[in-house]
Amino acid sequence: MSTPTPQSQELIELKVHGVVRDENTDTQIVVLRDEQRSEVLPIWVGLAEGNAIRLAQEGIVTPRPMTHDLIRSLVTHLGIQVRQVVITDVKNTTYFATVYLSSKGVDRTLDARPSDAIALALRMQCPIYVTQDVLNRRGGANADVWLEKLIPKKTDTQEV
Amino acid sequence: MFDPYNNAYIVILRGEDQAEVLPIWVGKAEASAISLSLEGVSAPRPMTHDMMKSLLDLYDAKVISVVITDLADNTYYAKIHLLYQDSEFSIDSRPSDAIAIALRTEAPIFAQEAVLKKQTNEELEQWLENLKPEDFGKLDS
Repeated sequence: MSTPTPQSQELIELKVHGVVRDENTDTQIVVLRDEQRSEVLPIWVGLAEGNAIRLAQEGIVTPRPMTHDLIRSLVTHLGIQVRQVVITDVKNTTYFATVYLSSKGVDRTLDARPSDAIALALRMQCPIYVTQDVLNRRGGANADVWLEKLIPKKTDTQEV
Repeated sequence: MFDPYNNAYIVILRGEDQAEVLPIWVGKAEASAISLSLEGVSAPRPMTHDMMKSLLDLYDAKVISVVITDLADNTYYAKIHLLYQDSEFSIDSRPSDAIAIALRTEAPIFAQEAVLKKQTNEELEQWLENLKPEDFGKLDS
């Protein structure tokens, strides 16, 4: 009750809708959507980070542990629960995230890039949230137009 | 170091006395995680292995050492040995992740003797012999 929760901190749960390759650059786009599919949050990530998310989303088990599988086994060995990850801020086009951890009744937080936070969340089966404030400030009009043209076609091929 | 033939990067490990050399092929992202740390460059945002270090620090878990434990079909295997609340445990890892973590936590990197012996196959030796100084790129600096 001592910690005020401003309106802007209202959290919206998102699911990973797909990982799309951006043909123009050497990057991938993680497309997050809310349950009602009324909100879309695209986040540009590196190739390796995008792959880490895609592998987890498609439930592919690699013969050797990838970096985020290593984090999962570390977290499990330390007896830590990953409760949730939250995309907390956006500056220019850079997003910031926080991983909420809990161990023996003590809660701690860890700053992370959204790509790492999402890759971990999928492996720990914990929810992914974004603040309403970040959703309001996401991308520009240009990005929205660009995505509207891109998503229907590209995600279909990704999800087959 | 970049391997143009396989479009991959190579991490070169050496013994203290420079007598032993262990080259390990790794992916691009893994190579950059290692070279960033070698060059003491800190990225504007925490990279994946920096996040792992923060996680370890947050819970006061120590990396005792990392060990390259096995080599089978040109694939190396490693373990990270940790100390947490007076108990030791180890987790399986790819060598690239283990090395990236070791460099960030200043933990020693070991290779089992058997691994060093196994890796001295002819093909590799020949490849190394043919290497020119120019092949060493920025990642090796």
